[in-house]
Amino acid sequence: MNFLRQFLGLLPVNLSGAAQRMGSVLTIVVGVACAVGVLISMLAMGVGVERQATGNVRADRVILSSTGARGNQSSIPKDEAVGVRDLAGIKKGVGGAPIVVFDSLIPIEAHRRVTGVRIFFPLVGTTANFTEYRPEIRLTDGRMFRPGLHELIASNPCGHQFTGFEIGDGRPIRGADWIVVGHFEEGQTLQCVVYTDVDALMSAFNRNTYNTVSVMLQSPADFGAFREALQANPTLHLEAQHESEAVRERFIGLKGILDFAGYFVGAIMAIGATLGAVNSLYAIVDSRRREFGTLRAIGFGSAAIIASILCESLLFALPGALLGGALAWAFFNGLAASPFGYSFQLAVTPSLGLIGIAWALGMGMVGGLLPALRAARLPVATALRAS
Amino acid sequence: MKFLPLFWSGIWRKPGRTALIFFQVSVAFALFGMLQGLKTGVDHAAAAARADLLIVHSRLSFLAQSLPAGSLEQIKSVPGVKMAVPVDIFGATYQKPTQGLGVVAISLVKDWPAAFTFTVAPEYLAAFQKLRTATLVREELAEKYAWKIGDRIPLMSNTAQMSGSTDWAFDVVGTFRDSDVGSGRDNILINLAYLEEARFLGKGTVQHFNVAISDPKQAATVSDEIDRRFANSPQETKTESLLELAQANAQSIGDMNFLIRAIVAAVLAALLFATANMMMQSIRERRVELAVLKAVGFTDRAVFLLILAEALLVCVTAAAFGLALAALILPLAAALVVGLSMPRIVLAIGLALAIGVALISAAIPAAMAARLKVASALVSG
Repeated sequence: MNFLRQFLGLLPVNLSGAAQRMGSVLTIVVGVACAVGVLISMLAMGVGVERQATGNVRADRVILSSTGARGNQSSIPKDEAVGVRDLAGIKKGVGGAPIVVFDSLIPIEAHRRVTGVRIFFPLVGTTANFTEYRPEIRLTDGRMFRPGLHELIASNPCGHQFTGFEIGDGRPIRGADWIVVGHFEEGQTLQCVVYTDVDALMSAFNRNTYNTVSVMLQSPADFGAFREALQANPTLHLEAQHESEAVRERFIGLKGILDFAGYFVGAIMAIGATLGAVNSLYAIVDSRRREFGTLRAIGFGSAAIIASILCESLLFALPGALLGGALAWAFFNGLAASPFGYSFQLAVTPSLGLIGIAWALGMGMVGGLLPALRAARLPVATALRAS
Repeated sequence: MKFLPLFWSGIWRKPGRTALIFFQVSVAFALFGMLQGLKTGVDHAAAAARADLLIVHSRLSFLAQSLPAGSLEQIKSVPGVKMAVPVDIFGATYQKPTQGLGVVAISLVKDWPAAFTFTVAPEYLAAFQKLRTATLVREELAEKYAWKIGDRIPLMSNTAQMSGSTDWAFDVVGTFRDSDVGSGRDNILINLAYLEEARFLGKGTVQHFNVAISDPKQAATVSDEIDRRFANSPQETKTESLLELAQANAQSIGDMNFLIRAIVAAVLAALLFATANMMMQSIRERRVELAVLKAVGFTDRAVFLLILAEALLVCVTAAAFGLALAALILPLAAALVVGLSMPRIVLAIGLALAIGVALISAAIPAAMAARLKVASALVSG
């Protein structure tokens, strides 16, 4: 009780002196703001990647690939793929046909509008019913590709970022011109995706196997029954994954690299900011030696002094965190980045703000500890003699 | 030099404070060195790529398009071409879907390594020629999976064999090193003649040709001439030197420049505040000493320079320490970007920035010290 009263009495005294020690306080605030701002900005990349990748994910969609393989490596013979249609739990689309889509994926190169830099985008050959599987696709211009023809529809980011995606543009692929006939919107993604008819694509590229088969279930709860039916069928050597899981496998590597870089740089900056805070708080404690000596002499306990200085340090770090978070949001939220050729928008989210605040409190805590101990341990006699 | 003891004692007046600021500056410049080193290191590595090796691939897509193997003779007939080697590439996985690797099938013509960035020991080269299912694996990859010579490695792919199976197996007969920065590290080399015989689809086609030219300065001319020979055919080509490819790769990382600059700016801003505050504090505490110096005949100018010199000494040695630390750590990041090292220019820029930080942060405190009124300082102290 005594501790609490002393602590509550000391804290306003500590803070009221802040105005006279503006230099030291600003050093802490700016140091923490920079460290938190950088941490949040860098983590915003990982969040942006995740958000973009998972933005369109639905729980009732399942992706099948050949056992032990993923994406481009997966190869599913046509007759095997057709067998998927008869499995249990699949939703029926228009005309009663099960919503099963066959995809074949080929990376094609495009060139950036401004810089001319080469970048790869996925050209996805798909079956005509894919709009039932992907209801989020909305044509914004032109029309759908027609089966069997060399026609493409491109997502809007393609045209914004790369040359040669205007409607009517011909893209030479495999000795023929493939015409862009439509543009579509697919959620908030910046990634360029181009769809075409799967049979036209596979015959052009001499392929006789699909990469993946995608299925829409009647409800997410049917996944278990669907997978059992799949495993029970000896002619199907396929693995089923929730769409979320399949998508996660694709972006987790990039997110891992970006998050590692964020925490690495953030940690180094935090060390710098903490050293700055220690220095500033030492200066503050030193300039108040007589005051602390007096307090100790009139009976204030060490614990209350330590707690009040730690609390002061945390209170200086907090505005730093808010400032850093605000700057990160102002400069980087929504900024388009494309490291390693993958385009996405940085996303500064409230949860990143919380990480930033936790980070800042950590810096304040560690930075305040040594100066607080010094203040509490000052020998009363020498402290009172200090000038 | 006779003033050295003077600012030495100024610096160590409060050893704790100096040590803290020293480490803070070190940490900041270690970060600067690593970030800038990453960027500049990648650019330098790209600039060092071979200009005398060309890749002839399909104009439509680097990865997904193939060329007829028969184009070889036409490429060879272009003046300036020393050697052309057909190459095919397919992706495979080893044991787990996440363990992907690139299978590079090479036509084993005489002296073929001259058209590549690979270094292969002669005994491995001989063994590679002898066995049709032989493979040379990249040293790093052999280490990663603990493959030894004589091992038979099973791979899964989407390239079908004549039997319909998409599983392949190769015998490890040796290792190779690759000096190229752009190529992935998870690569194995196999004999194109074997692939050609064993595969079901794509017979008679290759993914690209590796071309060695006699004069690197003629790279652009030779490239244009090769592409001209295939112009307006269904199999148009695009010829690029490894140098051009590496530069394109470096640019894709260059997208991060804005972020790197913002971080460096944040680091420097925080540092300026910290050093300026430290110097202010120091001047305030030393009013009496500085007044005494002036009283015994030091000019305002001398006091001003004394304070600047103190800040410079601390900042520059701390920055040098931090940059040295970065130079030690940076090679560890080579796991992410191959062939990374700290170029001298980064050290030079870092030290220049340290001088800048010292001068800016010490300017106001030094001016305050210079303007100090001797009488009032001695009285108040």
